[in-house]
Amino acid sequence: MKARIEAELPFYFGPGRELFGFYHPAAPVTGTAVLLCPPFGVEQIRCHRLYRQLAHGLAESGLPVLRFDYFGTGDSVGTSREFDWTRCLADVITAAAELRARHGGGRVLAFGARLGANAALAVAQAARLDGVVAWDAITDGEALVRQYDRMQEALKVDLNRFEYARPELDVSSQWPGFERGDHLRGQLRQLRLLDPGMASVWLSSAVIDEASQPDERCARKRISVDVTPRWDDVDSLELAILSHPLLDAARRCLKEMA
Amino acid sequence: MHEQAFRFGAARHLVGVVGLPAVIDHGVGVIFLNAGLVYRVGPFRLHVDLSRRLNALGYPTLRFDMSTIGDSGASGQRLSREEQVVADVRDAMELLKQQSGCSRFVLFGLCSGAQNAHSAAHADPRVAGAFFLDGYGHRTLGQRVRHYLPRLLSIASWRNRLSRRHAPASPRPAEPAFVVEPLPPKVVRAQLADMLGRGLKLDFVYSGGVARYFNHIRQFRECFGRLADHPGVDVSFFKETDHTYVFSGDRQRLITHVVQWMGRHFPITRPGT
Repeated sequence: MKARIEAELPFYFGPGRELFGFYHPAAPVTGTAVLLCPPFGVEQIRCHRLYRQLAHGLAESGLPVLRFDYFGTGDSVGTSREFDWTRCLADVITAAAELRARHGGGRVLAFGARLGANAALAVAQAARLDGVVAWDAITDGEALVRQYDRMQEALKVDLNRFEYARPELDVSSQWPGFERGDHLRGQLRQLRLLDPGMASVWLSSAVIDEASQPDERCARKRISVDVTPRWDDVDSLELAILSHPLLDAARRCLKEMA
Repeated sequence: MHEQAFRFGAARHLVGVVGLPAVIDHGVGVIFLNAGLVYRVGPFRLHVDLSRRLNALGYPTLRFDMSTIGDSGASGQRLSREEQVVADVRDAMELLKQQSGCSRFVLFGLCSGAQNAHSAAHADPRVAGAFFLDGYGHRTLGQRVRHYLPRLLSIASWRNRLSRRHAPASPRPAEPAFVVEPLPPKVVRAQLADMLGRGLKLDFVYSGGVARYFNHIRQFRECFGRLADHPGVDVSFFKETDHTYVFSGDRQRLITHVVQWMGRHFPITRPGT
């Protein structure tokens, strides 16, 4: 265990070494590796521990893993305002290439939660991904934008959080916890789920928010998981999402696809 | 500014990101401790934004995950929680010293991070200063009067209370929590006095998010008596903000406060870029 953790490497990669990554090596078993695409904003912080646990579990099963942060998120270069959907997609392609280089070629699968799933699915062909496991992918970008706006408004008068309500505050350029760029709102409103036409699995939480209602295209590949992440709840912004059922389901699906 | 990721520590169990200014002053480095269980980027990426701002001004920084938090593993040593905190911070200081050449450090801790910064600052002579955000403090008579009196005199408060008898209230649901018992006030006071006697500069910042135990800047004196007059002590109360600084404007205000405090107590002679 200790030796394995020691071998895990944090590093910066990509053009200009702007992206933060964490590589979890594994003794090669199937020649397949897994790229973990994080969600965005506060969801990324809430999922950090879960992604780490998933990476450990996969590496123990013989699947090397790369976790990474998009430009403008986590430890990567850039401010939150600079997070941009087009750049995010390019970062997935860069990360897939990095993973392929580190584990010596072979197949690459991806796992993504929320916008991380959308990003992986959107560039599946360009990044030469061989399969995607999506968890609560966004099926309605318009609904996601409404949800973030609603949460942001609710925060201003949240007396569980603030001693005094602050209804007069202009926080329209932010989504819960983060500044957002001018383009991002428009980019996400247009977001629709793409089916890459490859082996994909759709993991759905027990309670699903408006933005990630699964459509009929994914009904056949959908697996319901007993996890309640409360994506749209302002009381949960600081709560890490920890779920053994989700870890088990993701690991099982990825191993089957490997 | 240049950032580099490291695995470090006695058992190579710790993970952190060092930020270096273009020109290093060799003066003081700033180390960020985990805020609760939030990993090293801090609540809403506060530690990333603040460390980069400090790098731009010329201060080297390290944001890292303490043992078993974030990306860091267990040390494998049989240490008490407090001993492990001190050991982790020592490892962090050693890394930042190797990378930047600085030999004195300022610690930054929010919530349990403030408690950990307190322990490390008390234990290690290389700590020259600390930011304690929503750190130690205890309820006082004044705090209770300020909390309850306006509610007793407020018609709206009574109306809410009476209407709640008929409609179920919707407070935040109770979450499972792992809470570390804080040190007794007497011990905290003695340890702070010891730190100040060694010449440490201490900045106490309280937010409106902890009004349940701290609700006025005067309360610091109620808690710690004459320590409030010590020239090494600064106290601020950001009563509008919440505990984790969810709004960007509140984070910017805090960052400006930290930068000004650093400039006053640990001025840079050769600014970065």
